[in-house]
Amino acid sequence: MPLSRTAKETSLNWRAALAGFVCVGLPGLFVLAPLATFMLYSFWRNEDGQLVREFTLQNYAAFFGDATFLRVYAQTILLCLGATILNLIVGYIIALFIARRDARTRFGLVLVFVLPLFTSYIIKIYAIRGILGHRGVLNELLMNLGLIDHPLTVLIFSQTAIFIGLVVLYLPFAVLPIYLSIERIPPNLASASADLGGSTLDELRHIVLPLSIPGIILAGVFTFVMTFGDFATPQMVGGVDGFTFGRIVFTQFGVALNWPLGAALAIILLITAVVMVLVAALAGRWSTAR
Amino acid sequence: MNVHSAFLHLDAISKSFGAVGVLQDVSFSVASNEFLTILGPSGSGKTTILRLIAGFDQATSGTIMLDGKSIDATPINRRPFNTVFQDYALFPHLSVRRNVAYGLMVRGMEKRVIEARVAEVLAVVGLDAYAKRLPHELSGGQRQRVALARAIICEPRLILLDEPLAALDVALRAQMCAFLKSIQRRLEIAFVFITHDQQEAIAMSDRIIVMNKGRIEQMGTPEDLYLRPKTRFVAGFFGENNLIDGRVTGVAADNATVETAIGPVEVAHHASDLTPGTAVQIAIRPENIRVAKDFKSGFAFTVRDVQFAGVSTIIDVVDAKSGVEMRVRQAPGNAADRPAIGAAVALSWATCDVTMVVGGSSDAA
Repeated sequence: MPLSRTAKETSLNWRAALAGFVCVGLPGLFVLAPLATFMLYSFWRNEDGQLVREFTLQNYAAFFGDATFLRVYAQTILLCLGATILNLIVGYIIALFIARRDARTRFGLVLVFVLPLFTSYIIKIYAIRGILGHRGVLNELLMNLGLIDHPLTVLIFSQTAIFIGLVVLYLPFAVLPIYLSIERIPPNLASASADLGGSTLDELRHIVLPLSIPGIILAGVFTFVMTFGDFATPQMVGGVDGFTFGRIVFTQFGVALNWPLGAALAIILLITAVVMVLVAALAGRWSTAR
Repeated sequence: MNVHSAFLHLDAISKSFGAVGVLQDVSFSVASNEFLTILGPSGSGKTTILRLIAGFDQATSGTIMLDGKSIDATPINRRPFNTVFQDYALFPHLSVRRNVAYGLMVRGMEKRVIEARVAEVLAVVGLDAYAKRLPHELSGGQRQRVALARAIICEPRLILLDEPLAALDVALRAQMCAFLKSIQRRLEIAFVFITHDQQEAIAMSDRIIVMNKGRIEQMGTPEDLYLRPKTRFVAGFFGENNLIDGRVTGVAADNATVETAIGPVEVAHHASDLTPGTAVQIAIRPENIRVAKDFKSGFAFTVRDVQFAGVSTIIDVVDAKSGVEMRVRQAPGNAADRPAIGAAVALSWATCDVTMVVGGSSDAA
């Protein structure tokens, strides 16, 4: 008996160790360790292509002292906020539309918005290029309809192109959380609103909208954080005019080979994202505290 | 209850979902200050009636008339009725005050007026101290009161209550019964109360409609239904009853003889068209049966079980010959007065306490 008990305890210890590794070890190894490395790099410097491992704040000073960096940073924040707000509005309308269908249609429509998440990111960007390009589907269509004489140049390789690309790419991340929060609202609340004399608009304004705030906040955080960090979309559809903060970070690593500056800019990007998440969390708490 | 005129009429309402018929040819009226209960087992169509009146569903055929005008095309939010939902359906993100104010707010009333009315109504339901709470911070009984307050603040012609007591525990249910009844008397508006609980129905109603399988079995006062059931279903559903199948063998001026498995039983009757040979069912309430230990006259039974049940003692007896089982309720009395299990006893009852419903056993519910 004592023997088997020991064996059991050993297997339990193994399981606890495995669970501990999965819960703490994996995130530590693949998330926290790289972040810590970045943090470290951001306080070192680059000298003639050589890494100098001495503490310095010069990378951060470079960011705050350079008008171009600051301009691109502010521009990117505005761009991503714009994309997020448009995504929230369009996403809400779509989510509401889906939630009001019968069960079978609902399933089909949700699938339509989940499917892009299983598609390769690069393929989606190429698809968007194919649509927005000079000889792309959209320009050809507008020309064939006789609405324009020459291809619209604003559709590709511009800030507008990035904006359109980001909105299209990240729309599912806005639709899904909002849809889930609307779908969770008990249907008898709509019945109660109508029974008490409320119109469909009253129901939307006083019941559905306030109760789906958690979904809206989540959708906002998703789209903002993901669009802000995205460098591939701006790279592919932005051209020379479409510079974003994510692209600058990428350039420091991939082109300029100035890793310390790139790391510092990445840390600034991360802090911006975290601040946005915190603001969203506060907004969520405020909205439910009333 | 003062006699008030009927203001709402359901005229030959039928409702089916696809091929499934839920209501067949239901007609009744609601008087302007009555407490009307629609009583029936689940699946009897009682909730469908409520949904049709409220406007959540459309009848397949038939008309609902309010003050003589059809309201079939009137949308839910334009009908002067309010509903207290089974699970209350309170708005979880709004305080008690704002839940109650909802009906007035969507009507665009002035804030000051709304606040005064809310305070008034919260006082009526005894929740003045809870105005700032959220629904999840309230007990079941308090939520019930909020749901009621939210309905009555709209000053509807009719309040529909969909099994509102189902979620409450027994003690609270009795308390809420009395509360609902007192509110209804005080406001003098019609309540249509849906329930499957016949005790709730008896306790509160001016009138009861008994539903079964989508049809009205019988409607009348609680006394009518309890003492003079007209159908087998009502006799069986409405309170405890001993039901025995039989056949009419003799008809006299005001009573008839029914041949049953336990022997011939005398029944008082008022039906003029009763003929010998009709299949009937007789019903005798357990509390109307006397048990004699010494066998002089009456029906011979053997005691199967005796249970002391507080306000009464239940004696279950069986007729050895036919296997017919009956239940008797007696005043508790002394333990020594109760018959022993296995003892032979004689059952007797007054002829006027035996009711009779016409019909074979095939349509028994």
